Amino acid sequence: MRKKPTRKPTIRKLTDSALRTWVAGLIRRQRVIGVQADGERFAFKPLTRAEDLRLDYDVTKIPPKKLFQPAAEPLLEYDQAANYRSIFETEPFVLFGVHPYDMVAILQMDQVFSEKHCDAHYFARRQNATIVVCDVQKASPNVFAGCMGTATIRKGYDVLMTRVGGHYVVEAGSPKGEALMEGLKNRPEADEASLHRREQVWEDNAKFLVRHTLRMKPAEIPALLQRSEDHPVWEEKAARCFSCGSCNLVCPTCYCFDVRDDVKWDLQGGMRRRYWDGCMLLNFANVAGGHNFRKNRADRYRHRYYRKGLYVPAKLGGEISCVGCGRCITACVSKIANPVEIYNRLLEER
Amino acid sequence: MMKTRVCACQTKDVYLPERARVVASEPMTATERFLAFELESGRPLGHQPGQFVEVSVPGVGEAPISISSSPTRGAAFEMVVRKVGNVSRAMHELKPGDPVGIRGPFGTSFPVGGAMKGQDVLFVCGGIGLVPVRSAIQYVLDHRKDYGHATILFGTRTPAERLFVAEAAEWARAPRATYMETVDRGDGQWTGSVGVITTLLPKVTIQPAKTVAVICGPPIMYKFVILELRRMGLSDDRMYVSLERHMKCGVGKCGHCQINGLYVCQDGPVFRFADVAQIREAI
Amino acid sequence: MSKPKVAIFDFACCEGCQLQVVNLEEEILDLLSVVQPVEWREAMSEKSDTFDVAIIEGSITRREDEERVRAIRERAKVLVALGACATVGGINKLKNRFAMEEVRRCVYDAAADMPHLDTYPTKAVGEVVKVDYQVHGCPISKKEFGYILRCLVTGKEPFVPTYPVCVECKMQENVCRYEFNEVCLGPVTRAGCGAKCPSAGFWCFGCRGLAEDPNVQAAREVMAEYGKTPEDLQGRLQLFNGGKEQAS
Repeated sequence: MRKKPTRKPTIRKLTDSALRTWVAGLIRRQRVIGVQADGERFAFKPLTRAEDLRLDYDVTKIPPKKLFQPAAEPLLEYDQAANYRSIFETEPFVLFGVHPYDMVAILQMDQVFSEKHCDAHYFARRQNATIVVCDVQKASPNVFAGCMGTATIRKGYDVLMTRVGGHYVVEAGSPKGEALMEGLKNRPEADEASLHRREQVWEDNAKFLVRHTLRMKPAEIPALLQRSEDHPVWEEKAARCFSCGSCNLVCPTCYCFDVRDDVKWDLQGGMRRRYWDGCMLLNFANVAGGHNFRKNRADRYRHRYYRKGLYVPAKLGGEISCVGCGRCITACVSKIANPVEIYNRLLEER
Repeated sequence: MMKTRVCACQTKDVYLPERARVVASEPMTATERFLAFELESGRPLGHQPGQFVEVSVPGVGEAPISISSSPTRGAAFEMVVRKVGNVSRAMHELKPGDPVGIRGPFGTSFPVGGAMKGQDVLFVCGGIGLVPVRSAIQYVLDHRKDYGHATILFGTRTPAERLFVAEAAEWARAPRATYMETVDRGDGQWTGSVGVITTLLPKVTIQPAKTVAVICGPPIMYKFVILELRRMGLSDDRMYVSLERHMKCGVGKCGHCQINGLYVCQDGPVFRFADVAQIREAI
Repeated sequence: MSKPKVAIFDFACCEGCQLQVVNLEEEILDLLSVVQPVEWREAMSEKSDTFDVAIIEGSITRREDEERVRAIRERAKVLVALGACATVGGINKLKNRFAMEEVRRCVYDAAADMPHLDTYPTKAVGEVVKVDYQVHGCPISKKEFGYILRCLVTGKEPFVPTYPVCVECKMQENVCRYEFNEVCLGPVTRAGCGAKCPSAGFWCFGCRGLAEDPNVQAAREVMAEYGKTPEDLQGRLQLFNGGKEQAS
């Protein structure tokens, strides 16, 4: 095999005003989705002004999965003669400001959507995206990425930005990223001191993005779950579960979906769409005719944790399908959705 | 506004149905209808006994349906559909020539080319559990030399709910084959056996070391049939079950058909019982 | 396919759900392409005794209403309950907590004894006759009404969520009303509205009735987490789910 020539990635140093100029340029040329303030919180939204980009955010309400698997997504069009035609989203976009833990989740989704059968709808969107990851500058109230090994990331992004002191270090991670950084070719290369400080940021983030402390290594979770099927915690927590699916829907690694057809007013043709779904919802495991194979609230509750810690990891080569973003903890009205609390309990009360 | 473009040239879309046409449509019982389809392209579906397809009825939706016929029986593939949901209700209205969409075949199959080969085969079916198993029965009868004795046990609630009555008479006459049926409740005319499916098992003698059992029926049936077969000396690794869940996407993504960590659409619907005996949500 | 004849009848309600149908605007032409309205007080002057589909708006609050809706049911092949008053009894059920005599006096004072004001405890349409399709909400969603009507004319059972409003709140990327220290009925209320109220900055009023298998007990317990009492929750539930709440 011929060895690929290894080119050192471009790494530049960017001031805030240089960043704004760069982003403004990108907005002029293409669709840019960036993190912005949305009420009291943050969200990924189409960016129209560079000033609206908020890389100092703590966490977004909904993870960037919504760009690759929207809440309601057209799959097919059909007519009465059973001509089914695929619908693909094909507009390229830049996704600006993804946190490392969310990038880890995206990489996991890449695996589950390509495993055995490739999901062309997911990848149509995914391949059209150029992802700019930005290291976390402010810890959210429930983040525990530091425990999950997802506080920083060294692969998979197109561009990685890290705030060091009063500026950013910007590094390309792929040919797409290099192309995106074309507009920065007049900016200075990152100096040794900045790179050193960047290492420090990574170390700090791994240490401090820990609002909840997992008392085990993530790799120990599958074995822990394997012996915990009958643990009382499932019934106990589920007694307070609304089966509202909030933990599912805000989760960057929850990708289950429902598929439904609608017909147009001509009653001839229509569209097949897929919608976010959640294994916590009562009728998730229903079959036609009404039998529910997971009717018990505690069974659904347990299923979700087993998916994250045992079932999906089996597809991911052991990687735990929880990236420590803490969104489920925040979203749960009943305050029963803290994965760290659950796993620690299982460890302590065997 | 999201810009979308309709395009068929992207990488193969696993959610895109292929057009097929109804070639036969006949009522079978009060709630079940027999349907046969052919892909419009004329190519055989390429399924194995026990697999399923996703059937799309335009304007209605898509549902997973077991294939009831053996690939040894030509390019048409058959189904028996119970009227339970939107899609199956619409399928009851289908007439020969009507178009539908087909995806698949998906899932695992009965081990006709593996564990069943050279063995006596015992089929135990309750109600519409006979529908997917019929594909394996036909396959075994079409390759009679490759298998030992074939025993088919079929139970329904009432005589009127029996499926494939005429064909079952042929099974009974096939060489080295036994067919027995029972109903939970007889009607005025019924002179056959009355009792649940497990009452047929004592009438069968099996050689546990050279028998493979295929079991399919309503959730409640498995427990009792398996207990009885174990009592008769059959080990769990010689039993195969076909399990029902809602295989919505068929490609292991949507999550609806999961039994613990297994995807019924990929790891099933046919499982070796030994592989799922310890799995909490399976049986 | 011949177009089914549709009649809309109103009972005790504000007729706002019918108004939503009128407000379909351009879509109303689409609607007319699949059904033929034969009686619809808000939109036409004709009346008809023959119809295939009866759409019932409002709740049943008098004995004579009950007879009338039974007679409609007998003539209709398909019966649709339109809006919260029809599907769950709605706001009209608030009065069920009081003595009927007291209610009559309070509202009508001296006229309370007029025979047509002989009110009795409110019932949802489904408590009196068999309902084939429910269009939930106060008011109904125009989009859902159109969808359910298309399902009706094609003989399809519509997908109407049984799960709580929280699902749609997340899809809308709303911040949970509990984070604003408000008592929201979203976690126990049937979705399908697209989380309209929370998206507009209000708590969920519960107009689509309870979700399937709602965890009302959990809701009571959770109140303490937010410095609220079960009575706060009860108060909110009474607006649209008075009858159900008392039963629990």
